[in-house]
Order: sequence, then structure tokens, then C-alpha cells
Amino acid sequence: MKRIFTIVLLIAFALLANMSLVTADMHDWWADAAAPYAGATIRGVSESTPPSNYVADVLAAQFTELTGINVEFETTSWDQMYSKAINDMEANTGIYDFVYIEQDIIYSYLAQDYLVNLTQFAADNPDLAYEGYDESEFTSFADYFKNADGDLFGVPMEAFVKVYLYRKDLFENADIMAAFEEAYGYPLAPAESFDQYRDNAEFFTGYGESMDMDLWGTTVQGSTGHPASTYEFLESIGPSFGLYNWGINLDAGSAMSANGGALDGDTAVEALTFWLSMLEFAPPEATSSTWDEVASTFAAGRAAQGWVYGENAAWIATDESRSAVTGNVGVRLPVTADGVIDAAEMGDGYIGYYDGGAFGVPHSSRNKEATLLWLQFIGQQSVQAEWAAAGARITHTATFDDPLIAEQDAKVDGYYTLLEEQGPLFAGAPPFPFHAQVREVIDPFIQRAILGELSPSEALSQAAAAVDEELDRLGYGM
Amino acid sequence: MRNPRTGWLLLSPTLIILIVFGFLPFLYVLFVGFHEWNIFAAQDGMRYNGLDNFRRLVFDVDFLNSVGLTAKFALFAIASEVVLGFFLAQMLTRNFPGKSLFRIIHTFPLMVAPIAVGAIWRLLVIPGFGPVPFLLDRWFDIEYLIGTYPDQALLTSVIMDVWHWTPFVTLTMLAGLSSIPKEPVEQAKVDGANRFQVFWYVTLPFLRPVLLTTIFIRIMDAIRTVDEVWMLAGGGPGTRFTGIYIWRVVFPRTDYGYGSSISIITLYLTIVLCWLLFIGISGQGKDEVE
Repeated sequence: MKRIFTIVLLIAFALLANMSLVTADMHDWWADAAAPYAGATIRGVSESTPPSNYVADVLAAQFTELTGINVEFETTSWDQMYSKAINDMEANTGIYDFVYIEQDIIYSYLAQDYLVNLTQFAADNPDLAYEGYDESEFTSFADYFKNADGDLFGVPMEAFVKVYLYRKDLFENADIMAAFEEAYGYPLAPAESFDQYRDNAEFFTGYGESMDMDLWGTTVQGSTGHPASTYEFLESIGPSFGLYNWGINLDAGSAMSANGGALDGDTAVEALTFWLSMLEFAPPEATSSTWDEVASTFAAGRAAQGWVYGENAAWIATDESRSAVTGNVGVRLPVTADGVIDAAEMGDGYIGYYDGGAFGVPHSSRNKEATLLWLQFIGQQSVQAEWAAAGARITHTATFDDPLIAEQDAKVDGYYTLLEEQGPLFAGAPPFPFHAQVREVIDPFIQRAILGELSPSEALSQAAAAVDEELDRLGYGM
Repeated sequence: MRNPRTGWLLLSPTLIILIVFGFLPFLYVLFVGFHEWNIFAAQDGMRYNGLDNFRRLVFDVDFLNSVGLTAKFALFAIASEVVLGFFLAQMLTRNFPGKSLFRIIHTFPLMVAPIAVGAIWRLLVIPGFGPVPFLLDRWFDIEYLIGTYPDQALLTSVIMDVWHWTPFVTLTMLAGLSSIPKEPVEQAKVDGANRFQVFWYVTLPFLRPVLLTTIFIRIMDAIRTVDEVWMLAGGGPGTRFTGIYIWRVVFPRTDYGYGSSISIITLYLTIVLCWLLFIGISGQGKDEVE
């Protein structure tokens, strides 16, 4: 017995020693590889989001401790982030060594040859290639950041879907359930159809009013001074009705139905009409709400259900210092029209937006080697789980199986499972090299429809005509 | 004897800075304004397109609306600031308890950066969370939603601008009032002029140069307003001013050629407006003196 105990003890000691040697080796590798760049400062810019804030607050410090390379990471507003990154890359000023590339803008950046081919760069610098970093470990979301040869131009740092969130404490309250069934003649449940969504929204708005509560039936990302409203319509509501690729037919170079587009078609009008009708049941801040305010509205308990970007799901469900609805958040697929899920399963469409982004290195960077080390650091498997738990984002296949994520999954009502199993039903933005330009053209029409200055049909027909005009001007027209 | 070379030598740093950072960029914007240039277009680089950009803006409803809205904003904001600034300056020429403290507090908004002013006001008026909509609803049953009602957004922008810039007008007016000699005022009073007549026939003519300069500065500021209002309402309804429109065309839309042409026309309109104002105010003064 004593001998067995001694053997077990020796094995455990050997394993521990081995682990500490591996850890020490790992530390040595980063220190050795970074030695020529120690003391250097690399600068990056990104939108202020939960995953980005984790990078700024946690990962940057860890990397500096390992390598001696300082990371100055600017997290700013979405508009400012784009403006700064594009100006820097276009003017070749080299202010930023890495920039956030949202999935929808990658096609524009690649078309302009702004970014370094990271696969190639790592192959050209074998001394800087960290063995714990493997491009094949990324989920298929990384494909959005690859060229036709499969070379990577951005290390994915966040990936999430826009989901349907609902208040479980309200939807599972016996009194409320009874009141709903009495009013509508069927049981209260998370919405699975647009009619049901509307009934839920109407009911909870009335309920909030009758109980003198600050509660409304739905969120609406309907800012009239920000592109967020256009994005919610084109990338979440539109696809759930079967309106894909913003209704723009890239081959035909048109958004108009008459020329092969669909932005002014019946499906689009139906989708916009439904979405605008939800404003009646949304809290007063809806017309000033971007994605951030929508998350805040839901976290404050002011909406019974809504479309919310998944990156916010984790903190809304678990962070008591910021959310009033922790432990009461339900997560489901967004509502879709008949046939939309079938089409998505067949690969003929998608049900909503698979959002996310990556960090890429501009050609103008003055510290490409040090930045490559940084990107490998944030792209390695070992840092993913805690990052995913904090930011509700997953970029590595293996992260789904991490015990920490399994634990977090239960707290967020299976959000991570939904992301893994039903993520393929969602899709990123269409591959337009003119993304922001055309979206800017559509914005005023959606915003005027929100204000009631244009009917859905007028707004979309005028938007489609304006898009065609802009496509012509940009050289992508018919 | 003065050496002109010394004069030019002393002026040269300023001239060089003005040429490098003012005149040359202006020439470049003028050059770009005559080109089609969008970095995300299928064609690379700039293409000369003559007056197309200028022709386009004449029919651009969004641009024309932004000009109208900016004019409305400038008119209400500047008129309010001048009236309020004058009365506050008059008040500060007299002694009253707590005058020094009032002067410090009153000047405080001037020290705040425009982007911070926008942020402060956004926090105050954001629907659902801000105290202003809450109190207006609670006390007066007023639905105050700057994202939904353009008039409310414009009014809020005007009030925010007045809050920010009235102290500047007060200070310039105070300087102007302090420099008015006492004799003409006392003479007018001896001749039996009432307070309004003293103001209209004595104070105002003396104050005219200061008033003119202040209004010029405020017009130029108001026309190029971007950051405060952008922070407040993001250029939503009622706040899509020309500055914000130019920002949208040049940055998110990256339509550099068209954005340059709008910038040039806006500059032209500003100069014309100031010139008309100058003629109007200085001409009127001349008649009165005669």
C-alpha cells in the first residue's frame, strides 16, 4: 500500500514538474521571440464592446507581462473606430498596428489591399510562429477573413449571433400567463411567429401600463440618428422575413425589384411594416437606441422581449452590477417567417446576423512583427474560455467544450449551445466592397420611415432607387 | 528707420503656418471638389468631373434641408445668445452680492470641450433614462423624445448651444460696455433721454463693432457645429446640420469629391452671410451717424 502511495505521489510530482516546465517553456518562448521588440508599443483601435474591453483590461496586460511589448488599445465608438482606422490605412500614416475589422467591412478592406496576409507573414517569419496558435482551430467564422487561397487576414476576436431574448420571470409567472391566455386565447410563450411576437409585445406593454411599471413589450433598435436602425432592419428583421443581402442583387447591380433586386419588394415592405409597428410597444428610448442602448434597455428590465446582440447576453444574464434581470434571461432563435429556417438549413438563405470581427494588421503598421506576436497571443486556445465567458463570443471550436463555458451556458439559458448548434443558420453581411457607402444611402429613408414621414413602401422604393444611383456612381451598377 | 525685412521676418512664422495649414489645404479641397473620388469605388483614384459635384448638390434634398436647418439653428441660437449675453453683461457692470462667484459659474460652460457638452446634454435628455424627459413627463405631462420629434431635437440643440456659448457673448459684450466713455451716456441723460433711448442711440452704436465681431464668430461657429450635436442626437431628425452632413459624406460614405464641393459651398455661404450682415449693420450705423 505504501509502495503504491509512493508511486502515485511520484507520478503526480512528475506531472506537476512537467506542467511547470511546459509553462516555463511557454513563458520562455514568448520572452525569447519578443526580445527584439521588448519595450516597443503597439497601438490598436476597436469599438467599445464587452469582448474588446476584455482585451483592453485583461489580455493586453498579460501579453505585456510575457513579452515586454506594450499594447495601447483604444476602445471607442463604432463610428469613430471606422473613421480612425480607414483614415490611418488610406493615408498610410501607421498610427495603428492593429485594427478591428468587423465582418461586414472586410470585403471593402480586402478590395483596397489595406491588410497584411497574416498566414503568409507568419510563414515568412518562422521565428515568430507560436506553436500554440493554430488557424485551423478557429470556427468557420474565420472563413470570412480569408481570401480565395484560404489565407487569413484577421485573427477572429469575437463572433456572436443576434438572438431573441425574453424575460423568463415574466413569461413563467402564473398570474401573467393566465392573464395572457384569457386575453388572447392561447398560452403565453416565447414568440415563434410574428403574430405571436406582436401579441406578446402588445400584452406586456398593456401589462406594464396597468401595473404602473416601466415595462414595454419589445426592444427596437430604432435610432433615428445612427445607422443601427438600418442594420437591425437589413440584417435581423429583413432576413427573418426572407429578405437577403439587403435586397441588393450584386450581379444585376441593383436593389430595385424591376432590375432583379428586392429592397423595394413585397417581402421587404412586409418586414419593415412589421418592425415599425413594434415601435408602438417599445420603450420611449427606442428611437434613440443603438445596439448598446437596446442591451441597456433589456438589462434594465424595461422590455419583456427583444432582438439583442449576443455579445451582451452573458453580462445581461449574469452581471448583477449592471443588469436588473440576472437569472431571468431566456434565449431563443429569433422569430422567422414560414420557410425561412428551411431555406437557411438548405443553404439558400439565413435567419439573422452572424456578427463578429477580427484584428488585422494594416500594411501601414510600423511594428508588424510585434503585432503578429500579439495576434497569436489573443488567438491561442488557452485564453479563449475566460474571454468567451466575459464577452459571450466564441471563435474557437474547442471553446464550446470548455467546462467554464458549459457552466456559463447554463446561466445564459443555453446561448452558447445555440451558437454552436444553430449558428450556421445565421450569416455575416453580404460580400459588398461598398458596404458603408450604400448603407449610408439607405439610412435616411429608414429613419424617415421610423419618424412616420414615409410609409414603408415609399421609404423602400426611394431607398432602392438611391442605392442604384450610388451603385452607378461607385461603378458597381448595371 | 524701420527695416521692412525685419517685419517680414517676424511675420514669416505666422505666414508659413497659415499657408501650410490653411491656404494649401483649401487649395487641395478646391482641387478635390472638381473630382469624383471615393476610395471604395470600383475605379481607383480621382477622376476629373468638372462641375458635376456642384450640380449634384443643387438637387441634393438632404443637403438643402441641412442648410435650412443650420440657418434655423444659427438664427435661434445666436439671437438668444446675443440678447441673453447683453443683459448678463449689463448686469455684470453693476455691483451685487456674489458677483464674483456668479461670474465664475457663468463662465464655466466655456471651459468644457464641445464633445463633453454634447455628452452632458445627452445624459440629461436621453429618453427613458435622462432626468429632463422624466421631469417634463411627471410635472407637465410633456412627451419629450428627441429621437422622435425633430422640433424637440432642434430646440434642445439650440438650448445646449446657448448654455455653452452665452458666456462668450457676455464676456465680449462686457468688454464692449466697459470701453464706452461715460460722457455721451451722461450727456444723453441730461438731455432727457430715457433708458431705451440711451441704449438705442448711444450704447448700441458704440457697441456695434463688438457686436458685429461677436456675431461673426458665432455664425461661423454655428455653421460648423458638429461634435456637440453629433454627440447629442447623432445627426438625427432636427439636427442634421450641414457640418454633420459633410461629416457623413466625407467619412462613412468616403465620397471625398462631393464632400469637398459641399465644404466649399458652405464656406462660400458663410462668407456671403457675414458680408451681408456686415453691410447691413455697418451701413445702418453710417446712416445714423450722418
